[in-house]
Amino acid sequence: MNLNELPLWLEILLSALLLLGGLFVLIGAIGLVRLPDFFTRLHAPTKASTLGLGAILLGSMVLVSVSHDGVSLHELLITLFLFITAPVSAHMMCRAALHQRLKIAPGTRNGEYQGLTLARQQERDSSRLP
Amino acid sequence: MILLWIALLPLFGVLVPLLCSQRSRLFTTWATAAAPAIALGLTLSQAGTVLQHQTLRYTLSWLPSLQLDYALRLDGLALLFVCLVLGIGLLVILYASYYLSEQDSMPRFYACFMLFMAAMLGVVMANNLILLWISWEITSISSFLLISYWWQKSEARKGARMALTVTAAGGLALLAGLLLIGHMVGSYSLDVVLQHGDLIRNHPLYTLTLCLILLGAFTKSAQFPFHFWLPHAMSAPTPVSAYLHSATMVKAGIFLLVRLYPVLAGTDQWYSIVSLAGMCTLLLGAYFALFQHDLKGLLAYSTLSHLGLIVLLLSIGSPASTVAALFHIINHAIFKASLFMAAGIIDHETGSRDMRRLNGLWKYMPYTATLAMVAALSMAGVPLLNGFLSKEMFFAETLNQSILGSLSWLVPVLATLAGVFSVAYSLRFIHDVFFNGEPIGLSKTPHEPPRYMKLPVEILVGLCLLVGIFPEFMVQPILDAASAAVLQDQVPSYSLAIWHGFNFPLLMSLVAMAGGVLVYTQRRHLFRFQHQFEAVDAKREFERLIQLSVRRANVFSRWLENDSLQRYLLLMLLALLVLLGSSLRELHPLSGGRSLLPLDPVTLCAGLVLILSAIATVVVNRQRMLSLLFLSVTGLMVSLLFARFAAPDLALTQLVVEVVSIILLMLALFFLPYKTPRNAAAPRNLLRDSAIALVLGALVGSLCFALLSRPFDSISSFFMAKSKTDGGGNNVVNVILVDFRGFDTLGEITVLGIAALGIFRLLEHLRLFKPSADGEGRLWARQRDSVILNVIAQGILPLALLVSVYIFLRGHNNPGGGFIAGLITSVGIILQYIAHGVSWLKPRMRLNYALMIASGVTIACLTGLGSLWWDRPFLTSWFDHFHLPLIGDVELASAMAFDLGVYLTVVGATLMMLANLGKLTTAHRPQYEEMQ
Repeated sequence: MNLNELPLWLEILLSALLLLGGLFVLIGAIGLVRLPDFFTRLHAPTKASTLGLGAILLGSMVLVSVSHDGVSLHELLITLFLFITAPVSAHMMCRAALHQRLKIAPGTRNGEYQGLTLARQQERDSSRLP
Repeated sequence: MILLWIALLPLFGVLVPLLCSQRSRLFTTWATAAAPAIALGLTLSQAGTVLQHQTLRYTLSWLPSLQLDYALRLDGLALLFVCLVLGIGLLVILYASYYLSEQDSMPRFYACFMLFMAAMLGVVMANNLILLWISWEITSISSFLLISYWWQKSEARKGARMALTVTAAGGLALLAGLLLIGHMVGSYSLDVVLQHGDLIRNHPLYTLTLCLILLGAFTKSAQFPFHFWLPHAMSAPTPVSAYLHSATMVKAGIFLLVRLYPVLAGTDQWYSIVSLAGMCTLLLGAYFALFQHDLKGLLAYSTLSHLGLIVLLLSIGSPASTVAALFHIINHAIFKASLFMAAGIIDHETGSRDMRRLNGLWKYMPYTATLAMVAALSMAGVPLLNGFLSKEMFFAETLNQSILGSLSWLVPVLATLAGVFSVAYSLRFIHDVFFNGEPIGLSKTPHEPPRYMKLPVEILVGLCLLVGIFPEFMVQPILDAASAAVLQDQVPSYSLAIWHGFNFPLLMSLVAMAGGVLVYTQRRHLFRFQHQFEAVDAKREFERLIQLSVRRANVFSRWLENDSLQRYLLLMLLALLVLLGSSLRELHPLSGGRSLLPLDPVTLCAGLVLILSAIATVVVNRQRMLSLLFLSVTGLMVSLLFARFAAPDLALTQLVVEVVSIILLMLALFFLPYKTPRNAAAPRNLLRDSAIALVLGALVGSLCFALLSRPFDSISSFFMAKSKTDGGGNNVVNVILVDFRGFDTLGEITVLGIAALGIFRLLEHLRLFKPSADGEGRLWARQRDSVILNVIAQGILPLALLVSVYIFLRGHNNPGGGFIAGLITSVGIILQYIAHGVSWLKPRMRLNYALMIASGVTIACLTGLGSLWWDRPFLTSWFDHFHLPLIGDVELASAMAFDLGVYLTVVGATLMMLANLGKLTTAHRPQYEEMQ
């Protein structure tokens, strides 16, 4: 099927998906710049970009499945890997940030948790000293 | 075929004494002598043909593309030398078995000796210039081993080193000369070269060639000014001196002159250089021989003088003088070998070689004394002995030459003078040693040597007499044949008679003898005169020179290689700058005129990111981690660009390589300071470095532009066309890797494996400073494992393996292949290392990386060798289509097995590097058990 011959509803659906995805990515990018501290900034790319990319990939999947014969599953794989890797890297970065005692924006819930873990660790360290 | 056996039997003979090391000395001697004896028998069986002036040839193709054949020839000249080498060699083997003491290692001696003999046969029988040179160099090396046989002695080591340095340096000059001859004639075959004498003599490069070849010959034959090594080589065991320094090795240089006589001789350069060297050596040797106190030293200097005599004869260039030279080669070999053996007997039985202490030995060993005296008289040139005949011919020839132009009358005078000294030192040898009072302070009472130790001397002295009395019968045939080979069948008529009537040469002989007796009786005055000069110890001078050059070389190396990587990089880039700049200057105009592609926003953005990240890498270079991250952005952008411009294989590879190398660099950064410290010289260096970087970048950029804007007509269309039909694959990149350029790939994976093993060895015992905190003083995190990462990493491993198998299998027809698959597998496993750490993973994943590398290279090699089975060239690939039930049409190609080898090597090498570097960073370093 030629791209010019797409039915209107499909075009609307695809456009909506692409727009949605683009919007999420944009929000993620803005968040990365604007949010006050590392931990909040971490949310922007990991959450928003995941969703944004997911929408774009969904659009791609629909388009390719319609214009070519058969269902396109490549995008599913990409989504899968994105969903696997993004949380892991976010988690690892977060751990590193906690370890480095990065500044936490005021008003963060459970913000004292960082201090708590640190206190626990120091306690453990000192108990090991002879 | 017989020629091949003659040449190879002594070579096999090298192994015989080594295999006999547990047997008795007598057995070893006889077993060692067997091979040359058979070879001599074979030679004599061919002698009849050769003496009819025929040349026997044998050719075995060795490296035909380099014109390097194992080509042998046996003409009269070669026959003469083969007989000398094998005959005297056999006698020396017998002699040495009595000479060597119980402490000396007999197998080692005989093995080196046989190696030398085989090499010498190679020199004289070679029918190919390069083969001749290879044998020539082996004679240098084996003579080094023989001279340093008593390596415990400093003298022997120094003498051997001097001999090796001089002769091997001459050998290199000889190689250059022979290559030039090959260049002129267009062939290295001696048959062809000997036909082109005029071509070579009239060639503009003739003088250079002649000098180089003479350099080789003169160093080997110890001609002035390279004569100094020979007396110092006398620290060798006497059998070695008897063989190498009388009959064979020093004659190799002369052999070369004779062999190339038809193509090199007869020009003014030849006359002047060769005659000058020969004359100097003749006089110098004869004069200094008289003043030696060491028995062997006297013989060594006398050898010098006789070699000079032969060279002088060759320089005269008339046919008759060449015959005389050949005749003297035979005679000198015979009497000098016997004299050396006699000197060895004296040394062996008295424990001394000092002629000031050795006196009156006639009483103790009359039999040996008689033999030695006959040989010495032959050396002096007394009638009825062989030395007389050739010396007479020499005198006659000096009268018939004009090598010095109007000063040619000097030559016979100087020749007579040399004759005087030769008689004098021969007399000294006889009178000082065997008469002249009683021995002084000898450690043992001299007596006759064992029966068979005298046998070789007896044979040689017998030959002296026989040749001296019946010259026509003894040597005429072989001398004829040898002269015919040298002079290309223009043998002059000459007479070997003892009595030529009263003539000028006879008068010169008589003058020489009378003068010699006079000089010897009045030698005290001469000794006193000579004594006032300070003796120069050539060995010490030489050693000083060598040490000096070593020091200079070291200083230069230290100056060039100061262990600074930055400096090496700078030098290499500067060199590149010079090369690239000079060739780019000739490229005009820069643009090749191809229309440029339209610029699209995506490429533009990617290009901008690439540029910015590259700049950022430099700007933040002092914060190493950050810099590394920017570097990785550059790498990722490059792989995206590859993908955009339709190079999926490259993109995949670049991506994975990028990941692996960034991890590797991070591991390395762990041991380095967090930040680059500020450097006082930084501003100055910054200016210099940025200037170089900018210029180089501009050059490389221009080069790329010039290349890309030109119509590109390369061999890629050939690969495109042949990929499917000949290689059986649609993926041209992969077919090139595993088939068209498979040999390159094989080399590359071998290098990769070697590099990995090298890194392993380097890291094995490395104990690096391990920082306990990061750059800002924070301790490393205690909690090492992350549950999320661990689970995901473990889950991804099978996926990664699956993907790599998929990439591997599709590689031949679609983007992929063994290299990428190997990298993907490696990345999967590296992820496990990152998540769990080495100590957790090691007991759980028992992969022997060294074994993987080895099996990978082996599989690739075997696949390549497999094609030889079907008489195809190495690494020809094979493919066919099969129809399997359920799966369908399957293409099987031998390239797949090759790819498997690549895959294994890549995985093994990558992981070996990373795992071992990573192991260094773990908190407790596990004790090292096996290579893993």
